[in-house]
Amino acid sequence: MVPVARRMLFTDRRRALLGVAGVAIALVMALTLDGIFAGTTRQVSRYIDTSPADVFVSQEGVRTIHMATSVVPLAVTDQIRQLPGVSWVEAILFSSDALRVPAGRRPSYVIGYPPGGRGGPQTLVEGREPATGEIVVDDSAAKALDIALGDEVEVMGRRWRVSGLTTGMTSIVNTSVYVTFDDLAALLGLPNTASYLLIGSSGDPESVAESIEAAVSGVSTQTRQRFSAEERAVVREMSTDLLNIMAIAAFLVGLAVIGLVLYAAVLSRLRDIGVMKALGLGRLGVSRLVLIQAMWTVVTALALAVAVTFSIGAIVAALAPDIDVVVEATSLLRAGTGGVLVAGVGVVIPLIKVWRVDPATVFRRTS
Amino acid sequence: MFGRVPAARRMTTADPRRLAVSVLGVGAAIGLVLLLQGLWNGQLVQITAYEDHAGADLFVAQSGTESILGDRSAVPLTALAELAAIPQIQQADPVHIHYTVFDLHGEKEFVLLVGSDPGGLGGPWELSNGRQAQTVGEAVLDRTFAEEHDLEVGSEFQMGGRTFRTVGLSEGTRSWMTSLVFVTADTARVMTGGGEVATFLLVRTAEPDEAVAAIRARTGLDPIPPTTLAENDREILAGIMEGPVLLMIGIAFAAATLVVALTVYSGVVERLREYGIVKAIGAGPGRILGLVVGQTVFIAVAGSVVGYLMYLGGAWLVGRLRPQFWFSLQWRQLLVLAAAAIGMGLVAAIIPARRLGQLEPASVYRGW
Repeated sequence: MVPVARRMLFTDRRRALLGVAGVAIALVMALTLDGIFAGTTRQVSRYIDTSPADVFVSQEGVRTIHMATSVVPLAVTDQIRQLPGVSWVEAILFSSDALRVPAGRRPSYVIGYPPGGRGGPQTLVEGREPATGEIVVDDSAAKALDIALGDEVEVMGRRWRVSGLTTGMTSIVNTSVYVTFDDLAALLGLPNTASYLLIGSSGDPESVAESIEAAVSGVSTQTRQRFSAEERAVVREMSTDLLNIMAIAAFLVGLAVIGLVLYAAVLSRLRDIGVMKALGLGRLGVSRLVLIQAMWTVVTALALAVAVTFSIGAIVAALAPDIDVVVEATSLLRAGTGGVLVAGVGVVIPLIKVWRVDPATVFRRTS
Repeated sequence: MFGRVPAARRMTTADPRRLAVSVLGVGAAIGLVLLLQGLWNGQLVQITAYEDHAGADLFVAQSGTESILGDRSAVPLTALAELAAIPQIQQADPVHIHYTVFDLHGEKEFVLLVGSDPGGLGGPWELSNGRQAQTVGEAVLDRTFAEEHDLEVGSEFQMGGRTFRTVGLSEGTRSWMTSLVFVTADTARVMTGGGEVATFLLVRTAEPDEAVAAIRARTGLDPIPPTTLAENDREILAGIMEGPVLLMIGIAFAAATLVVALTVYSGVVERLREYGIVKAIGAGPGRILGLVVGQTVFIAVAGSVVGYLMYLGGAWLVGRLRPQFWFSLQWRQLLVLAAAAIGMGLVAAIIPARRLGQLEPASVYRGW
């Protein structure tokens, strides 16, 4: 068998490269935008995903941390400790402000937790946990703002000494800093309250969450997985419409390119197609030629697009470490499906062209 | 008798179908660039809607506060009495501003909760229906936000574990990221567990400079003009989103350039004999390059015009289906686009021009 379709497509390497690159770029647009939002959703839920808590308790109706306000009376902690399946309870305070130094500022979550407790930074790359008047800062934000251990920073209108550096808590949106629970409570002026209660369970977290919600009024409870999913849903639902708009534009660009590639490939081989038709190749056969070229273009373009997107991710990570470009399997599936759809629509005009080719053209002299 | 032949134009328009597809392809990419830019411009306007329209000449904040987006401010309500004693101040009212997320009809809604005193500064500036919130449990929603959730004046909804009744619908209080929800100051305090503090004290004054000095001296708080707050909020947003927006614009431009290059290259390859003849009868490299550049620039500019029309259509359609998306373009940006389109045409000419550079004129004399 002679791979006629593949040879027709790749005979002119430059044109083939331009065509594949054009479709690839359209797919890169979709993959990169998807990747930025996927990376952001992962970053947004990092505090929850890395927490040792099995269950989170928040103010009733509050199901996220991101940009939410939650107030839970500390008095309920004793009640919760008595419930079966609860092995530990820890309160944290959550606020938002900016981390300020002479070199600049970054929007920041401010997390107050009892020193030595489980609500603080899960990893310390340098230094130690904060004591009164001290603060732990993320290393990425520290690098961007030229902050070192022992430096003074300003958060929530007061100065703090940096006692330690954590990692992985800075995103495209903001960073996170950790102070003691008592320090933050004094600043917030909300005595005897927490923002969230972290619960360790010895039993099934779902059951523990349900029993807490049944026993304690005015609170909502979620397992860590559920809480994380809710958190990621905030970013995802905020961005759905924007992603759809961009995806449609990328689809149109890809459609135009693949249409151009196939049309040009067909035009340049009209005589050859005429010969094949004269030798008996039917409509189905010529259609296969065009469709196989379309598939080759899309598959090659998808492979190139994935490679380019990963490269963009690596370059972005080097230049702007707070931006994560994450290529997820669902994103690849969407890009692949989109590519096939684009190919399916893009072959229409070239197909019509080859169906209409008159085998008699092979007997005409060239002018 | 012997006029110039517009060879570049004729070569470009020889295959109208291909020209149409390529112009549409370039148009889609340029349209995407314009949509991104327009959306970004719109977002920069929308994000500062509150401070632009709250009706205050000064926002009195906790010392060190520079923005609404990125800073937490807590101002003691006792400062109101001190402000009342300043003769330059005509009116001063507290406002509570908090971001919150709640579930509404299965969707996560990210809103800016604004609590103000009934009749005081800081409430909704334009109501299309109903009235302002007067008591705890009442709320004013953005009209487009309410329509999306089939809410109207009199409807109830759940937020933060509490039931609210919609008493009014506001205009111009929504962006694609967030919507404003107006409640009373008491409601906001209850929801946030706040004590006797406000986020800002909004001030009206006919003598802002004198008022600023007096407020600082008496209270130690920071009086900030709304334009400064707005500028700082835009800077924070730019710090977050500008990188990804520019990255996407760059990729879209690369896509448009490739479409132009592909179109012209395909045309060049198909007409190699004609180009060979042109070279054989004495056209120099400059003339040949001119033929190619003429085609690429023509397609790039035509595609950009189509892209602008697609942007207008796309912005209109998106605005109808999703009114929270605002688009706005400045003339300066369109001029930059026009220059970029020409640049795109020049870059796209490189590969076809190289192909022609390697063409041997003698090839036209070879048989099939």
